Amino acid sequence: MNPFHSSDELTRRQFASNAARAYLGVHLFPMLGGTLASAAPAASVQGGKAKNVIYLFMNGGMSHLDTFDPKPKRKDVMGKTEAITTKADGIMLGHYLPETAKITDHLCVVNSMNSTQGAHEQGAYTLHTSYDMRGTIKHPSLGSWVLRLGGRIHPELPGFVAIDSPPDHTGGGFLGAKYAAAPIGSPEQGLQDSQRPSEVTPENFERRLSLADRLNRQFHGRYPNADVKAYEELYREAISLMNSKDLNAFDLKQESPATRALYGPGRFAQGCLLARRLVDHGVRFVEVQLGGWDTHYDNFAAVAGRCQEFDQAYAALITDLAKSGRLDETLVVLATEFGRTPEIQTEHSDGRDHHPGAFSCVLAGGGIKGGIRHGSTDATGAKVKEGIVTVQDFNATIAYALGLPYDTVLMSPTRRPFKLADKGLPLTGLFA
Amino acid sequence: MKRLITFTSATMLALAGGLLAQGNAKLQKDPVDLKKAALQIDHHIASFYRNKKLPVPAVTDDATFLRRAFLVAIGRIPTAEEALAFLEIEDSSKREALVDYLVKSKGFSSHMSNWVFDLLRITDGRTGTTATNEPYRHWVRTAVAGDMPWNEFTTRLLASAGDGWDPASAAVGYYTRDRGMPLDNLANTMRVFLGTRMECAQCHDDPFGTTERHDFYQLAAFTHGQEMTNREMMKPLWDELTEDREKRGREYEIAQVLWDRIYGMSITGGGDGSIPLPSDYQYRDGTPGAVVGARTPFGQAVRMSEKRVHTDGREQLADWVVGKTGEQFPSVIANRMWKRVMGKGIYEPVDEYIPSSKTHHPALVSYITQLMVDLNYDLRKFQEVLLLTKTFQFATNPNPSSVEGGDDFHGRKIERLASEQIWDSLITLAAGDPDQKPTRTLDDRIYLGNQPVSAGSKSMTQLSKEVLALGSDAEIRSYFKKLVSDLDAGGANRGGSPSMMMSEVRTYQRDAKVRASELPSPAPRDHFLYLFGASDREVVDAASRDPNVGQVLSLMNGFVQRELVKNSSAHLYKSLEGASSGNEKIRRLYVAILNRPPSDEEMGWMLDEVKTQGDAGFQNIVSALVMSSEFLFLQ
Repeated sequence: MNPFHSSDELTRRQFASNAARAYLGVHLFPMLGGTLASAAPAASVQGGKAKNVIYLFMNGGMSHLDTFDPKPKRKDVMGKTEAITTKADGIMLGHYLPETAKITDHLCVVNSMNSTQGAHEQGAYTLHTSYDMRGTIKHPSLGSWVLRLGGRIHPELPGFVAIDSPPDHTGGGFLGAKYAAAPIGSPEQGLQDSQRPSEVTPENFERRLSLADRLNRQFHGRYPNADVKAYEELYREAISLMNSKDLNAFDLKQESPATRALYGPGRFAQGCLLARRLVDHGVRFVEVQLGGWDTHYDNFAAVAGRCQEFDQAYAALITDLAKSGRLDETLVVLATEFGRTPEIQTEHSDGRDHHPGAFSCVLAGGGIKGGIRHGSTDATGAKVKEGIVTVQDFNATIAYALGLPYDTVLMSPTRRPFKLADKGLPLTGLFA
Repeated sequence: MKRLITFTSATMLALAGGLLAQGNAKLQKDPVDLKKAALQIDHHIASFYRNKKLPVPAVTDDATFLRRAFLVAIGRIPTAEEALAFLEIEDSSKREALVDYLVKSKGFSSHMSNWVFDLLRITDGRTGTTATNEPYRHWVRTAVAGDMPWNEFTTRLLASAGDGWDPASAAVGYYTRDRGMPLDNLANTMRVFLGTRMECAQCHDDPFGTTERHDFYQLAAFTHGQEMTNREMMKPLWDELTEDREKRGREYEIAQVLWDRIYGMSITGGGDGSIPLPSDYQYRDGTPGAVVGARTPFGQAVRMSEKRVHTDGREQLADWVVGKTGEQFPSVIANRMWKRVMGKGIYEPVDEYIPSSKTHHPALVSYITQLMVDLNYDLRKFQEVLLLTKTFQFATNPNPSSVEGGDDFHGRKIERLASEQIWDSLITLAAGDPDQKPTRTLDDRIYLGNQPVSAGSKSMTQLSKEVLALGSDAEIRSYFKKLVSDLDAGGANRGGSPSMMMSEVRTYQRDAKVRASELPSPAPRDHFLYLFGASDREVVDAASRDPNVGQVLSLMNGFVQRELVKNSSAHLYKSLEGASSGNEKIRRLYVAILNRPPSDEEMGWMLDEVKTQGDAGFQNIVSALVMSSEFLFLQ
């Protein structure tokens, strides 16, 4: 049963006047707001205590060896990277992560990730959807699944926001556009165009929507197409968003200079801060991406550069959440599509190639035990030695942390059954 | 038909001229009679209907045809002038005339360029290096504008070697763009040009297919050996400067021009024809590190022995791809073009080739495959044939496809416009025919950081030619010293005035109101184009047409309001000049935005709007028309 179903019953005619009036402050959406707010089905599974997810995706394939799975005894594998000790006994990191080293007591490092997909497009797709790419169907992304199964927290703000992330990683797939992420291109600018232009009076604004709605009704009558309908729904969504008193959730200027400096000046850093702000305001799932990890060429210089963007921001995010007490209810996921080879390609200025056989992802908060490692790789980091975790298991663990029924079967419009984590099973041992 | 507006324009003359020119000189020069070919295709479709006892879809009306033809052929809506010129002519052959007008338009190659840029993942810069794709991008753009035949285009890319800045060899960007990941590059080559997916076989035998890892390496042997020309000779100087980077910052920056942007963009040698198996090779048919010779996996076999070093591996691969894979090469590009024009490939996905005999429409696939060959791989002509078919004119089918994976020929499926089509249409409304504006040129200035600088009157092209000819450490050092002092001397003109430049360089900033094909690539993440799903050009064909809430906000409050609705100098409002009645103005806005006159019912609504709101009413109408689904969707 679609929890949004009752909102579907609003006729398009009602939409135009309601939407605009809602914007004018005459809030005619009490039952819609109520539906959205209570959309979450009662969680029937036990699990972590997370309410929100901040999902940090390292696009391009983050080298596990140079970051979260160093092999200090093997100079041939490590190249220019040194291993450093960290706050948590038993967790070592590459030397590019000095700030992260100070907060490892909050982290659960999963060293035994294994994927079957060694190309970026396929690897990132599987990680985001739990399924392999197919020509015949688009699977929903993790954020869409979480929104679908968990519902929104805030009735007006989007339930799923993607910062600096491409639409093919954050789409709603067969669940449709209303479960797709609201995209943020620049954290500094927040959600663009979310205010009525000052030169347009509320009355004219309403009239425009009403005219457009009449035109669309005709068009939709002729072409009852899902994509056409999706735009109509998005207009309703957009109006409710514009009308929200919490729109400043998207405004980084509300943060103190000290807090902004804590994260650092970079785009990814400010994206992490914006993610924390959004989660504070009741956005269910926020994805932030940092690209450039495809270090085939001059791996060590490239990893150093990426970590400069990443290290301070990540440590600040964990610290900030922990300090405010929000880390318990916020699961922070650090993920990538695959790792990099132990072999160093000297003919490509010391590059490392794709390596899906063994890589690392990290979980923190949301009831996850801190200061631990799960699984391990062999002496060179080439193969998983123990505790193998598939991409599907990893996604099931995220759902479990949220207390979501990860094994719920949803049917696609073509009547095919799908689950959030396909056949994956959660790593329940990671929870405190 | 009642004339909507009285006007004359060059457009109308061009269209009318097209009518007169029909059917004589032009067609005789073509290797194939395009109209007859279009008819042949329609026969194939008709016999499909007969066999299946299906009704033939109706043909769409003029207004729908007009908008569809413009968006499909040149990627934008018609200007009001162009729309009227077409709608007002009463001539039974005006659809043909319109197709002729469109395929000759400058916009045709702009729209094709977006397609090629997505396919080949062409970005302006590269991550992790200051090397650029500028000359490569320009080479591709020029090849598309000049109708380079697809087989020649493919060959030039795959067999490329040499200087990345020399216009004769700038296609080498095809390989240097993917420096450090030659295997991914090869997997993309197979996917793009032959519709064969081999990504999996980079690491393991494909459990569902027939491709083994050994096959993949044998294929990779053709392209193996992509070293830079002479760069090792600069290594001592480069290491010195890198070491002393703090103190010798400017010299380091200048050296980077040579290291990254000249040497880094060159390739020496033409492909070894052999390659060592990787260190994690896991099958019995080879051992890690063992050198294997090149061998093609299907088609007419081509082999190269691992016992000696070759210099023409990439050329041999190119010859095989275009000439020795039977119908596969022409079929894949013909089907891709079919998708471009008709909305869906005859077989899908278009990058998974199916032999014509195994498709749902064997005769049709064979026919268009042969047609591609007969037209000498001229993609413009091939698309012209498809645009001339009745099949292209079928009315829109509101129902979802009844056949999974391919065109079912039950009329065109409704589809949201691509991001570039929306952008190019909006700028047409905002600033008039964008094809009147000059295109972006090659930026071959020398850059230090983000600043163009001058060294005498040298361009990167000349600099590159000279640097790559240097034959020793000593020669490089003395050349470098001279270059540093030339740049110091030219330093007063940092950036220079355009007249200082050896040639007129024209580039466009991200917010310029020009065709998407001329803007920086990829579109920045906070740009309109990216918001509506433009590809970031990291992976093949990554554009998206999915809706999201940001798009809707942008249509209501953002770009559309700023550049169009409230912008009184927008081209759109020029079409209102001389119109006296509200009636007339509304008609003209409809023609400009939706390329059709309003229905009586719509006219009633809009007149009401103007009556109540006065001038603001017109702005409300413009805003509503652009927000409408009819604007965003291709019928």
